[in-house]
Amino acid sequence: MAGVAGGGGGGGGGNDFQWCFSQVKGAIDEDVAEADIISTVEFNYSGDLLATGDKGGRVVIFQREQENKSRPHSRGEYNVYSTFQSHEPEFDYLKSLEIEEKINKIRWLPQQNAAHFLLSTNDKTIKLWKISERDKRAEGYNLKDEDGRLRDPFRITALRVPILKPMDLMVEASPRRIFANAHTYHINSISVNSDHETYLSADDLRINLWHLEITDRSFNIVDIKPANMEELTEVITAAEFHPHHCNVFVYSSSKGTIRLCDMRSSALCDRHSKFFEEPEDPSSRSFFSEIISSISDVKFSHSGRYMMTRDYLSVKVWDLNMENRPVETYQVHEYLRSKLCSLYENDCIFDKFECCWNGSDSAIMTGSYNNFFRLFDRNTRRDITLEASRESSKPRAILKPRKVCTGGKRKKDEISVDSLDFNKKILHTAWHPTDNIIAVAATNNLYIFQDKIN
Amino acid sequence: MLVARLRFMLGRGLKRKLSDYEENMAGLSSAFDSSRNLPYSLKRQLVLNMCLTKLQTYKMVVEPNLHRSVLIANTVRQIQEEMRQESSQQPVNVCNGIAPNPLSYPGIDSSGISLHLPSGSNQQESNGCNSWSAEGPIENSLLMVSDDDMSSAISSILKDLDFMEDISPPTSLVPAGDDEPKSPESTCLKLEDDRQDLKGAECVFGSFEISNSTSYLKDLAIDDIFEDIDTSMYDSDFCVPPLMTPRPPSSATEETLKTFPSCNSSSANNIPICRTDLSELDHIMEILVGS
Repeated sequence: MAGVAGGGGGGGGGNDFQWCFSQVKGAIDEDVAEADIISTVEFNYSGDLLATGDKGGRVVIFQREQENKSRPHSRGEYNVYSTFQSHEPEFDYLKSLEIEEKINKIRWLPQQNAAHFLLSTNDKTIKLWKISERDKRAEGYNLKDEDGRLRDPFRITALRVPILKPMDLMVEASPRRIFANAHTYHINSISVNSDHETYLSADDLRINLWHLEITDRSFNIVDIKPANMEELTEVITAAEFHPHHCNVFVYSSSKGTIRLCDMRSSALCDRHSKFFEEPEDPSSRSFFSEIISSISDVKFSHSGRYMMTRDYLSVKVWDLNMENRPVETYQVHEYLRSKLCSLYENDCIFDKFECCWNGSDSAIMTGSYNNFFRLFDRNTRRDITLEASRESSKPRAILKPRKVCTGGKRKKDEISVDSLDFNKKILHTAWHPTDNIIAVAATNNLYIFQDKIN
Repeated sequence: MLVARLRFMLGRGLKRKLSDYEENMAGLSSAFDSSRNLPYSLKRQLVLNMCLTKLQTYKMVVEPNLHRSVLIANTVRQIQEEMRQESSQQPVNVCNGIAPNPLSYPGIDSSGISLHLPSGSNQQESNGCNSWSAEGPIENSLLMVSDDDMSSAISSILKDLDFMEDISPPTSLVPAGDDEPKSPESTCLKLEDDRQDLKGAECVFGSFEISNSTSYLKDLAIDDIFEDIDTSMYDSDFCVPPLMTPRPPSSATEETLKTFPSCNSSSANNIPICRTDLSELDHIMEILVGS
């Protein structure tokens, strides 16, 4: 599908509205430190918290400001809430390998009390973090002084009840569980189950099921490792639990297939319940067909009726009741099809783009190169290409649609395929669960865009 | 122009500066993308070259990406299958660029471990029959790899990717008497096979380098204690100038040295460097073993 005609048409909500710049987080200077590169973005269930993980193993959580009549413009702004080091680089002495501290995925748990919980994972270890607020402290202890020194018991002549006094808000993050040593290969996905008690973690060849309370063991529910590694032709690329059915999950493969499994059918879900694969179009066959068919992300819709997959050039929406082909296919950057050899040579063809749904499942979003990202409205079938750049970062500035010129005469404001910057890739995006607020990670910067109504 | 580029790239093998190499590769791949006139077989050969080069590069990385390796290996297999079908349709054994003869190339180890692009001189040697030179210079210059060599190359790469299970594998709870208890049994079987291959449960693969070196060491029946030492620095590509004066190597290290093909093929400068590091290793071994 070509870029949208005219200005203003956007994705989401089915109504015409425009996306505006809201905020950008991160350093401005050209020299990007490797550790600052954002590797995952995720809103929590309410959308009030937005978490990012980076290659340096840090997690930064932003919190949305409450509506405040005295400062109307700051409503909906996300400000830093907590920052902590989730994972450290490790060295596996047995294998002489360095384990990267890069955060591959963050998934929030539904909130059950005042504290917030999230799971963060690197290649090998998953951690459950508790983020809690402390805005009061106790004063008037009996056994110790205000400065903490123990009082001499003989000096205590009276007992008093400590009083809680307000203090400056302090947000503490503490690791509550560490789920380690269960993955030989690199973890690519984690997904919290709808039962809120279990979650799955997937690496290249296996998927494990964990209970959030139990760290010393996990169930292996999928194992595609062949007895003879020479026969290996397919790896697991992503996995997710169904949003409502706690016994159902899907996993995608490097061959462009998705398997839906039911944990009730057997303990080891090597036999799928459903197998989703689109027959190959012989006219578009090339040497790189298999590589570009590899699915980089799979996401269930909020309704649970559909799922979306992202491969190198397109996004596909599947109806869970129809296995033989997707119900919708959206071309993200079809103009790259004629450049596949160059993209293979510079390894860009292996880039793993993510995709996401909006709250009502009426729109989907995914990233591209040159800091472009694409939004598709499923109802109107309109799509728009926007850019996350400092140039268009004036407060509440409306984002102008971008267009890539595929050949022939380049119109004004269009950019030709050869001018695209393939180092500026948007791999991670997130959509607020209910509102039209999107977070886009562009290398080391996090952009937040909102619709104009706000 | 394209021919010149191809010769330039392949003639020098892998020792060229990486940036020059990358530049030429970029030139080739953009030629692939933009030119409609390139014959299919040439395009296919270009892709095959790129695949094999990438796999070779991955072998030098400590922990190659399994996902990418599998995708590239599948592409190679696909091309290989196509070429095989084409050659099977041609009954006459013709030495030309279109239907490659499954010749064995001296530059490529039959075990597939030391897979590398042949240098210019090797190309000359292996272009056996005279009819090669009669063909277009492009076909002559390109790397022609036999099917068997490719298969064994892929096999060895995938085998090296086989990560040994952790010492304490995750407890996989399979209900007794339920469906086929594939998980614990096959895990045990795999461990058994791996044990036979790897001489003891202590051997844990993590990287190409270790597994490559380990297989060499296994051939020489050197103790298991070598296996968990990162020997990647002893490949010639990673040799650094010695900081200490070279010591006369022991006989064991000399023997070990001969089986390192990279040391054999490289310049004489590298050999004393390897020897130095190996004798240092010897020294460390003595300390560890406490003898």
